[in-house]
Amino acid sequence: MSERAIPGVRIGVDVGGTFTDVVCAIPGQGHRVLKVPSTPGDSSRGVMDGVAAVLAQAEVDAARIERFAHGTTVATNAVLERKGARIGLITTEGFRDVLEIGRQMRSQMYNVRLDPETPVFLAPGRMRRTVRERIGSKGEVLVPLDEASVVEAVDGLVADGAQSIAVALLFSFLDGSHEERVRDIVRERHPGLDVSLSCEVDPAFREYERTAVTAFDAYIKPVVDRYLAHLENGLSSAGVEAPLQVMQSRGGLANAAVARRRPIRLFLSGPAAGVIGAQAVGAVAGVEDLISVDIGGTSCDIALVSGSKPLIRPEGTIDGYPVRVPMIDVNAIGSGGGSIAWIDGAGGLRVGPHSAGSDPGPACYGRGGTAATVTDASIVLGYLDPAYFAGGALALDPELAHRAVERTVADPLGMSVHAAAAGIHRVLDAQMAEGIRLVSIRQGFDPRGFALVPLGGAGALHACSLADELGIRRIVVPRRPGVLSAGGLLAAPVEHEMSAAFAERLDRCDLAAVRTVLDGLDRQCEALMAEEGAMAHEDRRVEHAADVCYVGQGYHLEIPLVLDDPDPLQRLYRDFLAAHDRVYGHATEAPARFVNLRSVHRAGGAGEVELAETGDSAAPRGSRTIWLPGREEPVEAVVVRRGALAAGERLVGPAIVEQADTTILVRPGWVGAVSDNALLVLERTAEEQS
Amino acid sequence: MKPRSNRTDPITLEVTRHKLEGIANEMQSTLLRSSFSPIVKEGLDASASLFTPGGETLAQATAIPIHLATLIPAVGRIREVFPPETMREGDIYILNDPYHGGTHLPDIALVMPVFHDGALVALTATMTHHQDVGGMSPGSVPTNATEIYQEGVRIPPLKLRDQGKMNDTLVELLRLNVRIPETFFGDLHAQVAACTIGARRLGELAGRLGAEGLAAASEELLMRSETLTRRAIGTIPDGTYHYVDWLDNDGIDLDQPIRIEVAVTVAGDAIHVDFTGSSKQVRGPFNCVPSGSRAAAYFTLHALTDPGIPTNGGCFRPVTLNLPEGSIVNPREPAPVNSRTATIKRIAGCIIGALRQAIPDRAPADAAGELLVLAFGGERVDGSRYVVGELIAGGSGASAGKDGVDVIETDGSNCMNLPVEALEMDAPIRVHRTELRAGSGGAGEFRGGLGIVREYEVLHGDVVFTHRGERHVHPAQGAQGGEAGALARSVIRRANGREETIASKLVTRLGPGDRVLVETAGGGGYGVPARRAAERVEADRLDGKVA
Repeated sequence: MSERAIPGVRIGVDVGGTFTDVVCAIPGQGHRVLKVPSTPGDSSRGVMDGVAAVLAQAEVDAARIERFAHGTTVATNAVLERKGARIGLITTEGFRDVLEIGRQMRSQMYNVRLDPETPVFLAPGRMRRTVRERIGSKGEVLVPLDEASVVEAVDGLVADGAQSIAVALLFSFLDGSHEERVRDIVRERHPGLDVSLSCEVDPAFREYERTAVTAFDAYIKPVVDRYLAHLENGLSSAGVEAPLQVMQSRGGLANAAVARRRPIRLFLSGPAAGVIGAQAVGAVAGVEDLISVDIGGTSCDIALVSGSKPLIRPEGTIDGYPVRVPMIDVNAIGSGGGSIAWIDGAGGLRVGPHSAGSDPGPACYGRGGTAATVTDASIVLGYLDPAYFAGGALALDPELAHRAVERTVADPLGMSVHAAAAGIHRVLDAQMAEGIRLVSIRQGFDPRGFALVPLGGAGALHACSLADELGIRRIVVPRRPGVLSAGGLLAAPVEHEMSAAFAERLDRCDLAAVRTVLDGLDRQCEALMAEEGAMAHEDRRVEHAADVCYVGQGYHLEIPLVLDDPDPLQRLYRDFLAAHDRVYGHATEAPARFVNLRSVHRAGGAGEVELAETGDSAAPRGSRTIWLPGREEPVEAVVVRRGALAAGERLVGPAIVEQADTTILVRPGWVGAVSDNALLVLERTAEEQS
Repeated sequence: MKPRSNRTDPITLEVTRHKLEGIANEMQSTLLRSSFSPIVKEGLDASASLFTPGGETLAQATAIPIHLATLIPAVGRIREVFPPETMREGDIYILNDPYHGGTHLPDIALVMPVFHDGALVALTATMTHHQDVGGMSPGSVPTNATEIYQEGVRIPPLKLRDQGKMNDTLVELLRLNVRIPETFFGDLHAQVAACTIGARRLGELAGRLGAEGLAAASEELLMRSETLTRRAIGTIPDGTYHYVDWLDNDGIDLDQPIRIEVAVTVAGDAIHVDFTGSSKQVRGPFNCVPSGSRAAAYFTLHALTDPGIPTNGGCFRPVTLNLPEGSIVNPREPAPVNSRTATIKRIAGCIIGALRQAIPDRAPADAAGELLVLAFGGERVDGSRYVVGELIAGGSGASAGKDGVDVIETDGSNCMNLPVEALEMDAPIRVHRTELRAGSGGAGEFRGGLGIVREYEVLHGDVVFTHRGERHVHPAQGAQGGEAGALARSVIRRANGREETIASKLVTRLGPGDRVLVETAGGGGYGVPARRAAERVEADRLDGKVA
């Protein structure tokens, strides 16, 4: 126990599709980073493997771990793989099919052979029952709850195999008593059965969205519960005493005990951690506004951080279905290193949307892929060292890359292999740049005012050309762009958020009424915080916010509500007008109203970023011939290992920086400088390149 | 294939294409973001396009199909009235009149010329469905209009801005002719902003490529889309395919169904659609000017061939139409046109029905193709006025291997429904049911999608109620032995117990306790019902999809 006197070790573990990343912060020793293969089926095995390996490597006792933060795919995968619970859905009489009808819009505009747009798989007709009751639009009880009908519905669903019950009654966000009574009846008759109530999961108007998110909650609850219990047991038997914390969709951590009760908040846990990591990197670099671009094999995830805060959207999607929980606004576009280049029927070069994925993968993987991918083009152009891809873990065959580009692109277009490969890059970069521009424009931001933070294996390879396309003049390359999600876990605060519907006009509203609702939400958040242990006491922050819209408007904006302002409601209105002007390009002094009130409690979260040694094998500084788009002749680029770069060092493009998890291409016109905290900051110098 | 030195290199071409589409998307995003009207934000009823100086579409952002190519006649007409050599930097042109290149009066088109080194290099154009442009009823879509003068203010091709100077005369005239000027000009400014952003970025692109480079790339991109479209048409067997479907009536002459007849001729790599046999133009507002008929044809072709083909004027070159003058698809002035969405939807369905005979695996059975329009207007308990509108879909048609989808928007439009909770908080109306309409999908090896059942009760005051239905008379047909979907049905149950069936279109008054029950149509089935797989039959029974 004497070891407990030594400052604790902190661990972040992020589970991805292929690898489970572990970052381990040891006081006095810096950070260690490790990748172990993910274990589909039971991802907790990969987590335990990774933890055991990193502890062994660092020779640290499990009992020294004081914090354990986890980014998990378990909620997302339960949906993608349709492996959730068999649920029963209970609704108001007359409204059995709200879940299946949805909003009647189709997502593919130019399709005539349609697929359902609603998550019917959660509860097909046979698993939906109604109960006699009705609450009105002012929260008044129009028809009292008929308990006999509840008994009949619940027993029927259980007899049909329901493992979990979702309850979504009309106007329950104004009065949840009927839903609560349904839960009591379920518990009396079927103890142990999970129940999700819409008045707790998402107390806001619009019955389809509320029903869907409640059904998702019920669907994943038993799966998440099992997984977290299993992982907690595993950690406990491995001697880890620290509580398990899990990353939520908004970018804050929650104790596993709380997360199990609110599983719906675990969607996109990993990508959220990545954005928190980018935000932390920005904080270290003194950058408040940044765009994180995570380029992997099949997709590119784009997120904006403005004023050091990740943009949150009030409603996300999972597998194309709406999930109305606040999430970090991560936008995926279908372009990545595995995107396939092809020639269309009119002889034009196209890149994507098809991807070679990881199996067979790019041609250079030598796994039977023959299509030319962006990664193959990177090999041909000399950007990637075939012998040092993923730190040498995967030997690439440059001959296969060359042949694929030649056969499928260069020959048909009648151009050289290098010109074809450069073309593939130019096309991919053009489409990604348009994607990034659109994401920022939709939020009312001009990307030119932002820095770019490249993430993932391929982000740093494309960063300079994306920045050039977008007019961005600064790029901040994290020390370990490939494992920033795990790093973000260590930088994230604990966060609990509660909201309630509040349908009052701003100009007719009594501040005391607002305070009463927020006090209630604060108490709920505090109760959740009380379960967080020691970390709950670190640097506690409380923020209030209101969702506000113009009277008659169908969409809203989240605006901070500053209760200690001399006139909080007036300030809220002014801030709403300013936000409306930014996001929608106009604002008039028309009456506005509340939609929801929200309280967010945070604690801890150092905003610290990993400074790990990468363990890049030492290699002499060298040079390599590379081809750049728009230039006929190749150029010589300096090639250096990231670990060999000293603080303060300058690097003038063209240059290539290699490290185990990524390769950084510094194009002509860009100069890199290594900061004291090991970030590589690239700045645009020349006006025009190529 | 050999490199052709007189052409843009294929890589610059593809990069240029992504930029052009990005510019169109950025314009569209600006429109959607900045517009006031809910119909723009939630119904995506707006569009942005780039045009060549010659008036062909260079790129178009994804919008609802009724907007596909609808800016072409607007740009064409602007070019006639204001020839390119007279266009100047800072000009903006405006029009909305359907008989001068518009679609219906709420859709206002703006066109802005883009210059580089003094030469006209492109045009940016936007079209937005405005909330109100005056006329005999709020919203400017009067179902009982019999001439266009009742539908709102008509704007011929005019300069809204002349070399940077706004046309104040026109602005003041418009201000007096629309019901909510703030909203109207807010939406118009969003259009100006979108055109300006597009023009700025196009100017940058012209700066990179040069005016001639941009022109060469533009022409080649059009040719590429034309080639791809012709190839796709080439996969459809040659022949002439006929189809007939009906709209219930025009809202004025209630006993006269409207016939839409098409003969689609596929000859090699070209398509011709002949509308001979379609009804004469009607007295009510269901007439559809050629741009709408064209949009329906382009949508159908795009959806049935390859939606991945970049959308530009090249896609439209292989398509020709014969639109008999004075008919429902090419009316003469001053026929009213505001309800033409229903007509466009039915035309799209007809062309799909015709091509189904050629490519039965790719084309579905008839969709309900109805967008039931309901409007309730009355007074709240506190005396304030309200108008709530509902747009309600039916089922989609089944196709080879797929059941139809229940209650889903198809073809020309793509609107959201109204949540019950939103409706009840806004108006003294109670909804008693929102359920799938069991048994309404056409039977087949693959079943048609179901319609919806919704029941409303008026709680307070005197209500003006508008009901604009379709498929009350002619059902959505099945295909390959599949059966037709159920007809739509609507009933008013008065507080005194009396029942009144609504025959498709009606404007009436409702009082407290009166109820309206609407049931939308089902989609057609596909394949012989007896061949339906046993597990699908069982699932339908368990899930309550069949009666």
